[in-house]
Amino acid sequence: MSNIAGKAYAMNVITPIRWYMAWINKLIFKIALSNPSTLKGLITLSLIHYARWVIIPRDNFPRLDPSQPKEELNYSYMLFFSNFNGSWDQYVDSFTFAIPSGLDLFWKWNVRYPKSVPLTPFHDYIRHNQIDTAHYYNAYPMAASNDVKSAQKIKKALINFNAISADKAPEEFFDDYNKLLNDLQHHFGDMKPTPIVSLSADAVRKRYLQIPE
Amino acid sequence: MATKSGNATALTVLSPIKNGSLDEVSFSDITRERCLRLPIHEKSPLSKVPNTYLARLFILDDVYYESLPANDRVFNFSDITSLFSDSARKKALPRKDHLKSKYLVFSSNFYGGLDEYLAGMWDNWSYVDHESIQRDVRHIWEHCVAFDRVTDSASFIHYIKRCQLDASLFFNGSTDDSLQEQLKSLYLKQEFTRFAVEHQGQGAAEIQQAFKAFIERVQPENLVTPTWPPGKSTP
Repeated sequence: MSNIAGKAYAMNVITPIRWYMAWINKLIFKIALSNPSTLKGLITLSLIHYARWVIIPRDNFPRLDPSQPKEELNYSYMLFFSNFNGSWDQYVDSFTFAIPSGLDLFWKWNVRYPKSVPLTPFHDYIRHNQIDTAHYYNAYPMAASNDVKSAQKIKKALINFNAISADKAPEEFFDDYNKLLNDLQHHFGDMKPTPIVSLSADAVRKRYLQIPE
Repeated sequence: MATKSGNATALTVLSPIKNGSLDEVSFSDITRERCLRLPIHEKSPLSKVPNTYLARLFILDDVYYESLPANDRVFNFSDITSLFSDSARKKALPRKDHLKSKYLVFSSNFYGGLDEYLAGMWDNWSYVDHESIQRDVRHIWEHCVAFDRVTDSASFIHYIKRCQLDASLFFNGSTDDSLQEQLKSLYLKQEFTRFAVEHQGQGAAEIQQAFKAFIERVQPENLVTPTWPPGKSTP
């Protein structure tokens, strides 16, 4: 199991939804998509790289050959995948505290969804329906989602500064340079592996090399 | 279709695994073991697949819910109206579902179009496994239903598309730049942060001179080099 790749955690949650209610969820997602302000709460949670919701109708699990038995399910299923920074608790709790109503809206029609407040039943629900990842790959294990967004701003500002200010007289260059640092101060930061990286990477390494715990 | 957000694409694939076993180990367990044993970070085969931001593999053994098996036919409405007491609601327990196949789930977040990405997967997915054997993408999907019909890039793309599920909602909390662009930006952020710290307190002319040498070294507009390799896990 490797739910962690560097600073990112991979969450997979599968929850049943009554097939005749799935269309309501799809409609809610459609409205959320066409009206980005509804996702404002999610954007506040800047620890997320990418997340998605997939609804599998109960008769629509991929069937590739007549020899494969046909699924006979009572419910449709909603899959939730997230890539976020920090620990499981931090993530689940930040959802609960930042966007409880949005969370309830997305999961409301799922069987036995306990609502996001209070925390304990919600934790139980997610934990029970979560599936561990077997292999998780992250193109930038040392970077948090905020680092990726900050890096984009730094690159743009650096290229712009170089074009405009690099050849100015030293004093003018210095003024512009200080302004650049001032403008970018929220985006700086050395990126290193965190202790979480070494613990998890070590566990995976041991398993890979078949070293006993 | 919500599978795209700007230039970023969400790919969700459920490939059914054959029921059956080899040497008393089920095909799903063989597949799980192969996924678990994939090398990580820089050595992951996914680091070679162009434009992969974050991706994962796992086995869906069955479906789950937090409750006891029973029938909920009568009390469905209780979830909507909350007209019934808690004890009545507790009696309205859901039914029990089980899958008849296990599924290999592949989920990827990447930059660009699907066909190009899948062709990149077919061409570039390679790694050396724990027995020092060179493997390609077929090793992971080998025991999936109908995968024996996959022989080339076109049939692989066709196969994965048959297993693909559309996302109802794809949320991009990061950027939708190409991976090369993201990695170059991270490299510049790291290097420029260090430059700023190292040159703190120096005079104008000195910093200007050092800055020019810095730009020469880091080449901000050259996406190919110097940059971070995909999956870089150490400074």
